[in-house]
Amino acid sequence: MSKIRAGSVLAAFLAASCFAQNPNYQPDPEWRAPTQAQARENPLAARPELAAGGRKLFVRNCAECHGRDGAGLEKIHSADLQLPVVQQESDGALFWKITNGNARRGMPSFSKIPELQRWQIVLYLRTLKNQAGSGPATKSHQQQLFSLQPLSLPVS
Amino acid sequence: MKSILIVFLSLVLLQLSAGAQESPFFITYTHHMEEPGNLDVEVSTTHGIPRSGQNAYIAPYVELEYGVTARWTSELYLEGQSTLGDSSVFTGWRWENRYKVLGREHWINPVLYLEYENLNEASRIQKEIEGGGPDLVSPNALLTPTHDHELEGKLILSSDYRDWNISENFTLAKNFSQSEGVEFGYAFGVSRPLATLASAHDCRLCRENFALGAELYGGLGSTLEFGVHNTAHYFGPVISWALSDNSTLRLSPGFGLTHETNPVLLRFGYTYEVQGFAERVAKLFGRRP
Repeated sequence: MSKIRAGSVLAAFLAASCFAQNPNYQPDPEWRAPTQAQARENPLAARPELAAGGRKLFVRNCAECHGRDGAGLEKIHSADLQLPVVQQESDGALFWKITNGNARRGMPSFSKIPELQRWQIVLYLRTLKNQAGSGPATKSHQQQLFSLQPLSLPVS
Repeated sequence: MKSILIVFLSLVLLQLSAGAQESPFFITYTHHMEEPGNLDVEVSTTHGIPRSGQNAYIAPYVELEYGVTARWTSELYLEGQSTLGDSSVFTGWRWENRYKVLGREHWINPVLYLEYENLNEASRIQKEIEGGGPDLVSPNALLTPTHDHELEGKLILSSDYRDWNISENFTLAKNFSQSEGVEFGYAFGVSRPLATLASAHDCRLCRENFALGAELYGGLGSTLEFGVHNTAHYFGPVISWALSDNSTLRLSPGFGLTHETNPVLLRFGYTYEVQGFAERVAKLFGRRP
């Protein structure tokens, strides 16, 4: 019985470390996209296959602070992008935050990335929600996250 | 030439994946700052193709660019120069700081720039041109003894419109070692990536890894003689190629538009970005950044 309990604790710990490396992330309440920006729709929303390119951009530009799986890094207080508080943001709000950054929290502006590529990153961020909401991590899913093999996204 | 080619090919072959997003400009600054805690190490050269009465030269420089905060970038330059049939000399150092005034993106994004230069008159990297431009005729022996302590300010205005970057720089410089008045200069640049969507796979020759543009820059005289008379102006295309996530190669042939210039200035630059530099240094000393 104690082995089962220990196993459960270990599994929970592994799942937490996989999917919520900064689960205590608290958003900056003053860092809000203007209403007009929040209402913007992703022009690539009908092309989910482009999320694979977004993943490449994410690893290149965002993974240093948010981790390769987007779960954030507690030691630098970066956002866990899988958390509902992030995923509930509109596409437009996420795009605005990537574009403008938040200097007070040390997040730079990524306006140097072409606009459509920033929308591709938003597409990829939505796949993190699917990962977080898909229940306990499967072995193949974990392998994909940590080996940096291409995720199971349709590629054009 | 062969050794340069070998070094270049080695740099290309050593890269594992493709795609940093660096501005292709050599002279014009944009409002895009270095990410906080990252260090860019850049090795560049300016080659002057001479006209009659001038000598060919190559002016290499090393640039260390550090992101102090999300809105403040600091850079240190060390530079030299070697003139054909003359000599090779160290020409001095520069320390510059750029501060992005507004926290959010706007149609026009202003950046304030302040630089201290400790150079001699043989400096020919021509990172900016102020006043009339550098002396391209006198021998190094005559130029190196004259040291300049100069303070330089710039107003950088930069806009991203769709996928274009349009930047304008206005320069004023005061040399505290000589009575030259306050000198003026300008730089304009336009650039665009060749592709605006990222492909799913890593590649070195994808269009998304290239950015093209053009620069126009020159001097505008000084408070003693303002205007374009007897001043140097260049125009040229610029191209950057992201060799990897961390490194970028840039090239620009600039064409002299006035008699005070070299007919052609060839510029090469290779940048390597050290991500998380501050964190690595902090770890080295056993501290958290």
